[in-house]
Amino acid sequence: MEHNESANITRKAPAMRRRWGMAIDLDKCTGCGNCAIACAQENNMPIFKDDSDLPKRVTFLDLMKVTNDRDAQYPNVHVAYIPKMCQQCEGNDPSDPKPPCVSVCPVVATDVGDDGVVSQVWSRCIGCRYCQSSCPYEARAFNWWKPRNEGRFQESLNPDVSIASRGTVVKCTFCSHIWKRERDKAVANGELDINAVLYTPACVASCPTGAMVFGDLNDPNSEVSRLSRDRRAFRLVHTIDEKPADEQKRLRGIKNYPNPKVYYLTSQQWIRDMQRFR
Amino acid sequence: MKKIDRKDFLTLTGGAVVGGLTGTVFSGAPFDALQWLVEWTQDQHRPPVGREHFIRTVCDQCRDRCELSIRMSDDRAVMVQTSNTACPLGQNALQLLYHSERIQQPLKRDGRKGSGRWTPVSWDQALTDIAAKVREKAQANKRHLIAGISREYNLSSALLDRLVAALGSRNSYYEATLESLTTAALGGVPQYDFENTDYILSFGARILEGWGQPNSILKAFKGWKERGTRFVMAETNMSRTASLADEWVPVKPGTELFLALGIAYVLVREKGRNSAGTGFAGWVTYINDFTPEQVAGITGVSAEKIREIADAFSRAARPVAVCGRGIRGISSSAAEITAVYALNSLVNTRAASLSQFAGLGNPPMSQEASQSYDANEAKRGLDEFIKDGNFELVFINGANPLHRSVYGENLKAKLENAFVVSVMPLVNDTALYSDYILPSLSFLETRTSAGDAVTTPYGQSRPAGQALLDLAAKIDEVRGAFPWGGFAELVGNAPAMRPAGNFAFNNEALKSQITLLKKLISEDRNYPLSLIPCEHPLVGDGDGLAFPYVLKNIDNYTYSLGKLWVLINRQTADAEGVSEGERIDIESSRGEIGSVRAHLTDTVAPGVVAIPLGFGQRANTKYAEDKGVNPKEIMSAEIDPLTGCADWWLTRVKID
Repeated sequence: MEHNESANITRKAPAMRRRWGMAIDLDKCTGCGNCAIACAQENNMPIFKDDSDLPKRVTFLDLMKVTNDRDAQYPNVHVAYIPKMCQQCEGNDPSDPKPPCVSVCPVVATDVGDDGVVSQVWSRCIGCRYCQSSCPYEARAFNWWKPRNEGRFQESLNPDVSIASRGTVVKCTFCSHIWKRERDKAVANGELDINAVLYTPACVASCPTGAMVFGDLNDPNSEVSRLSRDRRAFRLVHTIDEKPADEQKRLRGIKNYPNPKVYYLTSQQWIRDMQRFR
Repeated sequence: MKKIDRKDFLTLTGGAVVGGLTGTVFSGAPFDALQWLVEWTQDQHRPPVGREHFIRTVCDQCRDRCELSIRMSDDRAVMVQTSNTACPLGQNALQLLYHSERIQQPLKRDGRKGSGRWTPVSWDQALTDIAAKVREKAQANKRHLIAGISREYNLSSALLDRLVAALGSRNSYYEATLESLTTAALGGVPQYDFENTDYILSFGARILEGWGQPNSILKAFKGWKERGTRFVMAETNMSRTASLADEWVPVKPGTELFLALGIAYVLVREKGRNSAGTGFAGWVTYINDFTPEQVAGITGVSAEKIREIADAFSRAARPVAVCGRGIRGISSSAAEITAVYALNSLVNTRAASLSQFAGLGNPPMSQEASQSYDANEAKRGLDEFIKDGNFELVFINGANPLHRSVYGENLKAKLENAFVVSVMPLVNDTALYSDYILPSLSFLETRTSAGDAVTTPYGQSRPAGQALLDLAAKIDEVRGAFPWGGFAELVGNAPAMRPAGNFAFNNEALKSQITLLKKLISEDRNYPLSLIPCEHPLVGDGDGLAFPYVLKNIDNYTYSLGKLWVLINRQTADAEGVSEGERIDIESSRGEIGSVRAHLTDTVAPGVVAIPLGFGQRANTKYAEDKGVNPKEIMSAEIDPLTGCADWWLTRVKID
């Protein structure tokens, strides 16, 4: 508790203008992969001849195939896909967000903005990879090689996202460049309150079954906020959520939990069980 | 005028310097310079910024014709945007449009076949050469040795069919797709009303992972829960579709046909249902052997379960039974397609019907051409044509039978000795054996029914249909069969689907096939395991592998670090002495493939090895090249008597 109180005294962030969050309904996700392709296209993912080396490939959205075959035997098995991107953590105290990656970055290349998005500034990153090792979700990728989009692939590059240099860490930013783009358009149209502008990240826009929902968690009437309070909602390997309230409070006093803003929904108990050690 | 003394001079100079500096600092220039320095030292690259605008078009890669909105930056297409429509086929469109290995102009073979060495030539030279070859075959009375192979039913394949027919040959074939197999077995493509059905019974068709027309199925899927639609999936291994189903009915490998026959038995013998299909009386006589009790022994599904499914199916208001095992690589026997579709007809459902592709009709023929056309018979399907047919001149329209057919090796030998013309945007395995490759376009570069093309065509590429029209214009005898001014004129009048007549049971063919399939699923001491395919939804049966963003999303138990993975049941692996991650070879009576890595998982059935399709290509750009192995090399090659395509779904194998 002391940690939190002192943090409140030293730095109280201004109220979040937006708290962008996502809810992904795994009961609706068929694993078609549209989100992953749309993400790569929107965010100018580098292209190499062979990206089959999973730990070294650069992607923002990883479509994880999961099964319960550790705990069950044929035919009591299931298969599901979990689209996993940066979970946009905020740490124990949302008013003073301290995700695990932000607190270790020596050059402030990653920080939490007043929209709740954990930013990543490619050009500021010095490539120490502390953030990558501190990320509980392995959501960050390191550019081991100079990103290439050889030949004509360059013609499909999105002008809103810069190409990172070799030796930098990159990650999903909830397509915040789209928000910027939408706000610029709103300003051009005479809109004064730019924070009133809403937007949709590329993955959410491309989901054919509507399994992915994006919106402002601060707005209690938004669909994402409603879904985050749903009985079926859970957060990836965030088991503290299942403990009683006072136990949660005690645990937060002794440890900084990631507290992500991406919620998953499932009616399948095995997806929750799968995330626990046996 | 006051003379400027030293003090004034210093003051003025100082002021100018201070003012200049202040101005520079406040102008932001130093920050820009610093930014530039940072970017330059760190090798940053910002793509050129252009005027943002959107162009509407339709995706022409399946019959759904999804509306797309393409985000443009000046004349560059940068993003495929949709409003919760479309599937990865549409999303991948930009990677085909801007592929670094797109063919820029017609290529002529240079060096021996398969070497991949080409000389760029002009369209005129290429078409003149090809037309001369065609005339040569016609004059030498070898019209029946001209053939065309297409990937799927569309406008360009309709034009190719017409060209081949106008020359006096019946040899127009399609690769084994859901459309071509069902058309051969039933006389039409089943159209399912997924939007309004209340009971779906799928026999191995992985309908939620990119099967058929993905967008309309996924759109309908959104409403199934609310409408109380029940979805039952019969399949050997646990797939995502089976996992999303309300009920998964695990069947023994390759026995979907017998489950359908068992359900038909209950409907006919115990519920007194009838089918209006021609030849039903004859077909019913086979059903007698398939009581639920007997089927239970074959499929591993209990007799009560079979009766329960039959009961629910017959009670439903608008049920559909769906045939066509797989996602993009479809393999089902004609007997299975018939038996499954018969269920729809037995309950007289309004949610399933048959329709046919209209095509462009029969062309006018010269006398020699029509004599040759009448004198020769076509093979029943592509695999039979590759195995037993002959050709000396063949057009390949976007197809890749060398990779996808189980008779790929036979085809390779025949292509070596034939004159081969490929029409496609990227060089695939089959095109590697071409004498000429004519570059075609992606749908973003051609006029669609939604309007003009999104971008200008790449290099000298032309729409595949236009290339064929241009070729026909160079051959005097067929010119009259192509009265259209150009491909663009045809696009608006694209052949639509039309309802097919009542379907018929082709009893003679089905009877022999059922006996054969019963033999295939029985125990084999030499080859104790069953090899069945498991596709990666994005790779499909091979086309997806040319796209780098697909490659980025392949999970590590499909392909990683240069090795293809197969899935083996844990108990089976224990019995075979295979451990996790071990390299194994797989052997069938047709040959051996290796090495692949084994992943032990209970999502596959005991006694089963599941292997991904689409890998092991020799070309199809450097992204697909030499990745893994192609299981078609060892898969079952028994040719179906109705579809003329090999039924490769189940292969008896052993592992080493």
